[in-house]
Amino acid sequence: MLSVDHLSLSIAGNLILDDVSFSLPGGQTLCVAGESGSGKSSLLKALNGLMPARFEQLVFNPKTGFAVTHAGHWQGRPGLKGSRWVMQDPIAALNPKLTLGASIAESIFSKNLSEANLENAVSTVLSDVDLPSEMTTRKPSEVSLGQAQRACLARALIASPDLVFFDEPLSALDAIVQKQIAKTMKQIQERYGITFVIVTHDLGFAAAFADQMLVLRDGKVEAYQVANSFFAEPASRYCRDLIEAARDLGSLPQAPLSSGRPAEVYS
Amino acid sequence: MTVAEKLVLPEEPSLEKKMRERDFNRFLLNLGIGLLVLGTLVAAGFSFTPYAPNAADFLNRLSPPSAEHWFGTDQLGRDVATRILYGGVWSIGLAFLITSIGAVVGTIVGLAAGHFGRAADTTLMRVTDSFFAFPELIAAVTIAGVLGPSTTNMVMALILVGWMRFARLVRGLSVDLAHRDFVTQARLNGLPSWLILSRHILPNVGPSLLVLWTNSWSRTILSISGLSFLGFGVQPPNAEWGAMLLDGKAYMQTAPHLMIFPGLAILVTVLSINLTGDRLRDLIGGEALSD
Repeated sequence: MLSVDHLSLSIAGNLILDDVSFSLPGGQTLCVAGESGSGKSSLLKALNGLMPARFEQLVFNPKTGFAVTHAGHWQGRPGLKGSRWVMQDPIAALNPKLTLGASIAESIFSKNLSEANLENAVSTVLSDVDLPSEMTTRKPSEVSLGQAQRACLARALIASPDLVFFDEPLSALDAIVQKQIAKTMKQIQERYGITFVIVTHDLGFAAAFADQMLVLRDGKVEAYQVANSFFAEPASRYCRDLIEAARDLGSLPQAPLSSGRPAEVYS
Repeated sequence: MTVAEKLVLPEEPSLEKKMRERDFNRFLLNLGIGLLVLGTLVAAGFSFTPYAPNAADFLNRLSPPSAEHWFGTDQLGRDVATRILYGGVWSIGLAFLITSIGAVVGTIVGLAAGHFGRAADTTLMRVTDSFFAFPELIAAVTIAGVLGPSTTNMVMALILVGWMRFARLVRGLSVDLAHRDFVTQARLNGLPSWLILSRHILPNVGPSLLVLWTNSWSRTILSISGLSFLGFGVQPPNAEWGAMLLDGKAYMQTAPHLMIFPGLAILVTVLSINLTGDRLRDLIGGEALSD
């Protein structure tokens, strides 16, 4: 579904990402973890064509999206077909002058739907993300952070994407709202079988979602493992420290679980 | 999921936002009342004045303010009050026109510079900088010197030197906006340039633009009066406040009302527009980008 081979990215002589590879089957979730500055967000930007990355192979959903199978330079036209991106700060990601409804509808601008069809599509996704329909007329300054992030989810979802990127989707939110949004994300993924790539530094959140874990450290891949084995037997000392730290903070349960996902904390 | 779901509060707009809205509505109300009163006075002036602005009355030259001539008469016996009324159309109306054209041109240049890549940006902003190098008075005097003094030439000169501040403002704001997350989202969602500009950039530049426009308007009124006073602007016998000052200068000792009343008209107009602009800036300017 999404496979990346030997992707690297350097900006002004600084190597931001060095030889990152992964291969993610459809409908699954890859969580990208690491400290700040490790290149997590740059990976998303590179994959979305906002930064000129070098790669040997880059394949995504031959059906609708990009399928680049040769080595080369990827600074694709921004706006990959079949994928959407949910950003960290929902208020910054929404135009303050547009209503939520207008922002959501804009996501499928290229489909040229009629007014009525557009309204239908918007109200469908609004119920998918548990937002009341009167939210379409609100401006971002008139809703809570959680509602704004739901609107961003709706904006991604309305395009019926095969792949959704998330950049720290919860870290701007309160604990309670985090929990609710995570639940909604899970419902959406189960209902539509969307592939998720989630950048997060919250290992508890990652544990609840990930099928695969990718840990970056200084732009290099520190670990790339199936989630269960990552939490049971992390590949490196550094990953063990990360997991320990998350346990100490209480965002991961203390004892490693041998089977199943470590903890269904978000479900 | 029991406690958590019940805790979702219906979000009320913050207290601060409500207060801001109240202040803004009060400002609009005051502005509306002010404009209504002013409009009524001006309309009454135009319909009830028994004098024509350029009608000479040689029996009544340089007469001081009286019941017949509220602001007195000038050296040709023309009614100063009527001339101030008609002169306002030149001063305020021309300045309005010049500033609006400058705002449109500057906005287009600024948007283009901010949106269409580095080459466009560099070219357009260097052109803007070179226009900044001409002091507007000298530019106008030069144009008048080459083409001859006339109202049209003055308007052209002031448009030529008046658009750059708009270009700089719009360019700066749109470069900043271009890196905002919501504009990135719009690009990722495949919106064409014209929609990104019209839906995402321009509406967020608008409030700052309005503040600058108000400020430029009052400056332009001063420039028009200044140029007319120097003889490069509105030409006699047309009444314009600066031109009236020029006419009255010779009689400053014996008939000071010829200079006092046009001077007061300029003062009050520019002060009103400036104060309105300042209040507008306080209310919307500082947070032009964050709604």
